[in-house]
Amino acid sequence: MSKDVPPSINEKAFLLSALISRQRLDSRSPHDIRTTRILLGPQPGHAEVRLGKTRVTANVSCEIVRPRANAPTEGALLFTTDFSPMASPAFGDGPGGGGGSGGDEILIARVLERALRGSRAVDTEGLCIVAGEKVWQIKVDVRVIDHEGNIVDCACIAAVAALMHFKRPDVTVLGEDVTIHSTSERNPIPLTLHHVPICVTFAFFNQGMLQVVDPNLLEEQCAEGDMTFVVNRHGDVCTLSKAGGVAVEAGQVIHCARIAAAKAEEVTDMIKAALEKAAVKEPKVAIV
Amino acid sequence: MAARLEIVSPEGLRVDGRRPAEVRRVLTRTGVLSQADGSAYIEQGNTKCLAAVYGPREPVKRAGVLHDRATINVEYNVSSFSSGERRAKLRRDRKLLEIGLMIKQTFETVVATTSFPRSEIDIYLQILQTDGGAVHTAINAATLALIDAGIPMTDYVCACSAGFVNDQAILDLNFLEESADVPTLTVALLPKSGKISMLGLESRLHIDKLEPVIALASDGCMQMKDTLDEAIRISTRNLAKTVLH
Amino acid sequence: MDQDDIEMEIDGEDSLDIHVVTPGEVVTRDSAFMRGHGTYTEDETLVASLAGVVDRVNKLISIKPLRTRYNGEIGDVVVGRITEVAQKRWKVDMNARQDGVLLLSSVNLPGGVQRRKNESDELQMRTFFAEGDMLSAEVQAFFQDGAASLHTRSIKYGKLRNGSLVTVPSALIKRTKSHFVTLPCGVDVILGLNGYIWVAKHVPISPEQANQPDALYHNDNEPIADQEREIIARVSNTILALAKHNNFINDTMIVYAYEAGSSHRVKDILKPDISQEIVQTARAQFQEAQQH
Repeated sequence: MSKDVPPSINEKAFLLSALISRQRLDSRSPHDIRTTRILLGPQPGHAEVRLGKTRVTANVSCEIVRPRANAPTEGALLFTTDFSPMASPAFGDGPGGGGGSGGDEILIARVLERALRGSRAVDTEGLCIVAGEKVWQIKVDVRVIDHEGNIVDCACIAAVAALMHFKRPDVTVLGEDVTIHSTSERNPIPLTLHHVPICVTFAFFNQGMLQVVDPNLLEEQCAEGDMTFVVNRHGDVCTLSKAGGVAVEAGQVIHCARIAAAKAEEVTDMIKAALEKAAVKEPKVAIV
Repeated sequence: MAARLEIVSPEGLRVDGRRPAEVRRVLTRTGVLSQADGSAYIEQGNTKCLAAVYGPREPVKRAGVLHDRATINVEYNVSSFSSGERRAKLRRDRKLLEIGLMIKQTFETVVATTSFPRSEIDIYLQILQTDGGAVHTAINAATLALIDAGIPMTDYVCACSAGFVNDQAILDLNFLEESADVPTLTVALLPKSGKISMLGLESRLHIDKLEPVIALASDGCMQMKDTLDEAIRISTRNLAKTVLH
Repeated sequence: MDQDDIEMEIDGEDSLDIHVVTPGEVVTRDSAFMRGHGTYTEDETLVASLAGVVDRVNKLISIKPLRTRYNGEIGDVVVGRITEVAQKRWKVDMNARQDGVLLLSSVNLPGGVQRRKNESDELQMRTFFAEGDMLSAEVQAFFQDGAASLHTRSIKYGKLRNGSLVTVPSALIKRTKSHFVTLPCGVDVILGLNGYIWVAKHVPISPEQANQPDALYHNDNEPIADQEREIIARVSNTILALAKHNNFINDTMIVYAYEAGSSHRVKDILKPDISQEIVQTARAQFQEAQQH
């Protein structure tokens, strides 16, 4: 819910009355996601996702570091999110340590962290090179380029697609010797993902009785509250986050969860299709 | 880790001897701080939280002033001595900021902010000891402190946590249960309508199991409501008696 | 205010017909009642939004919370502290939901004679009231957003000197005829309805003083003897003791409590057992006086 210039009372009323008659202003039905375009490459681990007009890029890189003391056989997964001021007038000077738009940035960054790190999507044990000494550290940089609503979902798709597209250099360990092979020597190895977590966000209207999937910017600004599910195609809810806002019934939460599961399947298929196209057309850019 | 430790024994008892749907012992006190407009202290099992509310008062930051309502600011802090190992204090711990924002947005819909334009309400929450359920204890403490400060609200905000292990849902998880990778769901409820205001799930839970966990957590919230309401009634009655009119 | 200390024996107070409500509780389903402070309507029922005692006046139902910030009315005497010097106005902290506003046009300008304010007055605002100054004033009006507008257009209001501030909950100060009292022990007490009380050395106001240009806003204290300081401290502690036990505060109560505590040392008055004893004695005396 960006707070730069709130929409006028007329706009809000118009949006709400349209929703009550089951119509969204961009002629989607309440549970439709906007047109998703996933662009992968040319570098492995680079993805740009467009969800309607919202654009987010994600870039994955890797580095060899010492593992943490309490997890000597596990690699590390780092996330950084950058809400570029070019995306929206709401981003910018806010240091992110308080209310206003800075608050939204923190909430979004945290959902991403929980979705990807907390759900153990990436196999971190497979990132170990030499136990206790050398592990791979995977760094995911997410950058928001354009904000037209629902950055969370878009960023998640971008991060997941980038992780699935990424290939790390192959490594040979002989006793104490560690050799890192360049991409020309040996084919790089993709990361192992246990499952594919997908974010699905709902926005609530009309005392919480109406919900829409994938709100655009205007819907976000007019919404009374929102809820984000992170689900995978197996029906596991990895994260569920409803940060205050209008109160809803438990039955609605379950109903939304089922819709989210269906959407997750759709999006997972989209990402897989994009990856396949990228593999075929490598090293050129692949567009879904 | 779950294999080593039996969260629920075959007889149906948990590590601290509770039944699956049993909430821990709750102790509450209001009016514990002299400078704050409202304050409360809650102990839920071994989790201890102190809440202080200042306001509505003149805003400290000019930027946050809203012309038609009060701004609510929530600061959520976990003491470095609250858990077994000393917690290093990061300058801007995002996790704490996130919890503060979630609590702020939860209370924004319940507190009658439109009665106090151009002022701010500050809620400070300090976790003194964690044994699981720090967030929901903090929310309950904030509710008590707001009521103690005489700030009008449409309803209580009661919170509780529930998890799922060994094919059954358990209520009010302690630290051991939380760290044993039991999926934990924290729920904040508005008891009058029974509607859910805040939800937070940290680890994986299958969608089919979501319903019983939410139901159990909601039940726990209603139990908390009775406890909190009782505490407020007693302290209100006591105060009413001593003020001679 | 620790709850533990307030376990006092109240004689026969259980007969109090108090109806305690908590937020979200239905007060009445009868739509004939009008809703006052602390309530809201949902469907046709009146629901409480505060924890407190139901106060019914004819058809108006309101909830009185037992602890709240000062909510003023026009004509109230308040004691406050200047927090900010702004364009043609001062902002005054009075323990309310917003700082009070003291407009330049609402103060007496030095020189005694009523005169129009000019530009130099505006630039010299700090020579009248600066940040940190204590003052007594009266609530003149309220702004749209609820902030109080104060004035000091009388000789009895203005900058406060020669004393110390005591802060008590505003609910304990009842409206009386005069909030400027001189106690028999020789101190002046200004009972601000906002909970700020000023206890000071008694300095008689002479009418000629008002005419001297520097008299109104000078910042020098009179010389205060040790004995006078002790009396001021004793009165301050007495007021704090009354507040601690949630007893209402007016001049008679302060006098009774002062007498009850005269045998103790000044610093002992704040000890829990002694303060309890003092307040109980004062209360008993008050009730006795009521019966005559």
